Amino acid sequence: MHQTPPPAPVVARVEGLSKSYGQGAAAVTALDGVTLELRRGELTAIMGPSGSGKSTLMHIMAGLDTPTSGRLWIGDQEITGLGDTELTLIRRRQVGFVFQSFNLVPTLDVAGNIRFPFELDGRRPDAAEQAWIDTLIDSLGLRERLRHRPSELSGGQQQRVAIARALGSRPELVFADEPTGSLDSRTGREVLALLAAAAADYGQGIVMVTHDPIAASHADRVVFINDGRIVADEGRMSAAAASDFVLGIEVAR
Amino acid sequence: MSGVLRGHGATVLVAALAAAFGVGLLGATEVILLASEVGPLGAIDDIRLVLGIIAMAFTAIAIYVAAIVTTNTVSTIVVGRIRQIALVRLLGGTAARQRRRIAAEGLTAGALGAGLGMLAAWALVGALVLVGVATGNLPERDYPYLVASMAVPVLAVVLSTWLAARVGSRRVLAVAPIQALVAAVPADEDEIRGRRARIVWALVLGITGVLLLALAVVLGQLTPFALLIGILGGAVSFTGFMLGAVRVVPGVLAVVGRLLGSGPAALLGSRNALRHRERSTRAAMGLVIGVALVTMLVIAWTTVRRIALDQALASWGEDGAAEFDAALGPILAVVATLVGYSAIIAAVGLVSTLTVGVLQRTREFGMVRALGLSRGQLRRSITVEAVQLAVTAVLIGVVLGVAYGWVGAQAVGGSQQVAGMVPPQVPWWLLVGVAVIAGILALAGSRIPARRALRISPVEAIAVE
Repeated sequence: MHQTPPPAPVVARVEGLSKSYGQGAAAVTALDGVTLELRRGELTAIMGPSGSGKSTLMHIMAGLDTPTSGRLWIGDQEITGLGDTELTLIRRRQVGFVFQSFNLVPTLDVAGNIRFPFELDGRRPDAAEQAWIDTLIDSLGLRERLRHRPSELSGGQQQRVAIARALGSRPELVFADEPTGSLDSRTGREVLALLAAAAADYGQGIVMVTHDPIAASHADRVVFINDGRIVADEGRMSAAAASDFVLGIEVAR
Repeated sequence: MSGVLRGHGATVLVAALAAAFGVGLLGATEVILLASEVGPLGAIDDIRLVLGIIAMAFTAIAIYVAAIVTTNTVSTIVVGRIRQIALVRLLGGTAARQRRRIAAEGLTAGALGAGLGMLAAWALVGALVLVGVATGNLPERDYPYLVASMAVPVLAVVLSTWLAARVGSRRVLAVAPIQALVAAVPADEDEIRGRRARIVWALVLGITGVLLLALAVVLGQLTPFALLIGILGGAVSFTGFMLGAVRVVPGVLAVVGRLLGSGPAALLGSRNALRHRERSTRAAMGLVIGVALVTMLVIAWTTVRRIALDQALASWGEDGAAEFDAALGPILAVVATLVGYSAIIAAVGLVSTLTVGVLQRTREFGMVRALGLSRGQLRRSITVEAVQLAVTAVLIGVVLGVAYGWVGAQAVGGSQQVAGMVPPQVPWWLLVGVAVIAGILALAGSRIPARRALRISPVEAIAVE
């Protein structure tokens, strides 16, 4: 096991997390006693083959799904057993999302989509927040696109809008689910560099679920998961090393 | 609903409502005629013919609204099946054949609905007769349950449903085989292709109709027969409005939507109605017809009543108004109720439009729920969309109804005016009534789709297909 000294503040933590679907003999275990801490300022990649439980882990950590057993925290707040309304508020205020596709509200333009988390909360960005959003818009090259609808943007542009939205309200934690899955390799590299920079420069905790070793090679930390268990927790690694690791898991299955 | 009728639930229901209305009216007419049979048979046959024609006219309105609703239902079904249609096209199926299949589904749904509606109407009329005879309100007679003329509404419903399905499935022809392969971002809004012929027709009919209406008002100052020109002008101008509605209704929807707020819930709802302009326009127009007809009748009645009142005051004093009310009031109530029936059919269309819209936005709802849209906000956004459609329909319907009603009153009673033209008389209870009905419709209409939307699990919705 690799440790990163000195330990940065924890933005999310799960302890003994399990999730199973169905009852009795037909029960399927998606997660089996997962314990994990995510740190501020780090881009963490969660890797594993299809069906390994990596998406379930992300959904539970983001407050989208509830575990069968175990406890979890976002920041200092325990969110185990919270109801739908409380979880909705946590997601709204403390978590940002970048999905593989269908990230944006089709009826809102780019500016409206970036502002959306604020509007959900019934407020407008204050001066400091607006300055931050403007910085994001410029550095993501979206200035000329603010009045465009999602259907007028390319896949890469849509992903960048989603990143601007996810970072705009400065949530403690950003979840990216296969963020490069529907992008060409060059646009994908740009998006990954942006996520890594966001973690390093702005101190957010970013978690990326992926099965792409190239994507994982941009991360500060790579967590491998298989059959619902964490099988390795590594620091930076090359795409080749990550690929070998996953292949090893697949062959051993 | 399974197999060939999947997604056609609303079509079956709407066809049943229209057929039940037609069959029920004819059945009730027959019962009333037999019950009151006292005079010579020849006179009865004449009355039967007149009542039959009136029943058919009301049924025609209901069937027309039903056809609009079905056109909408089918076109939304097509949008939901684009991937599947594209796949069949990719594998070598022709677009025309795909379209014929959907039209055939419509025919089946129409036939099933018409049959069910006919049975329901028989059962209802039969039950009313039993109760009537048992309580002594109806004389004991051998009431017929089957009248040959009942075939007319039933066949009309089947045919109109099939036609509506054909019109609604026009979009099938525009599906490209490649759409089976690309995970396309859903388009912002329906493409309203520059169907210029349609716009030209809308303008020609609209202007001709309005000119005829103006002529009816002018001639109405001389003779009540001007009403015939007025009816023609009304039919022509409204046909023009129906053709051009897709250019008018979205604008009203946008204004109403802006008035409903700018929060995220309001925006998600009100912007969606503008995404599918043809769909929203048709959903609103179904209601517009009912509201406009009822308003037209009420305004015509109150305006003619005003004319009669002025005249009565001039010649016979106060009693004139009371006599007028006693003679025509009950007839008006019956006629307005019968015309208002089409609003029930339109309401089914509204609910079905909203529900299909929710089902087609599963991923969008899952995504915004993940981002932190609360259940309350989601419910509100769907209510906003329903309120927007209902308010828009009521606004347009009232404006049209007041105009048509006043023209009708001037055409039929203008020559009796004692001191200049009487302006349209808009009773406050009418405005309150339509506002309340619109409110109830919007709230009730958004309940089923909202329940569907709340059942969407964010995790399942955002999972990549």
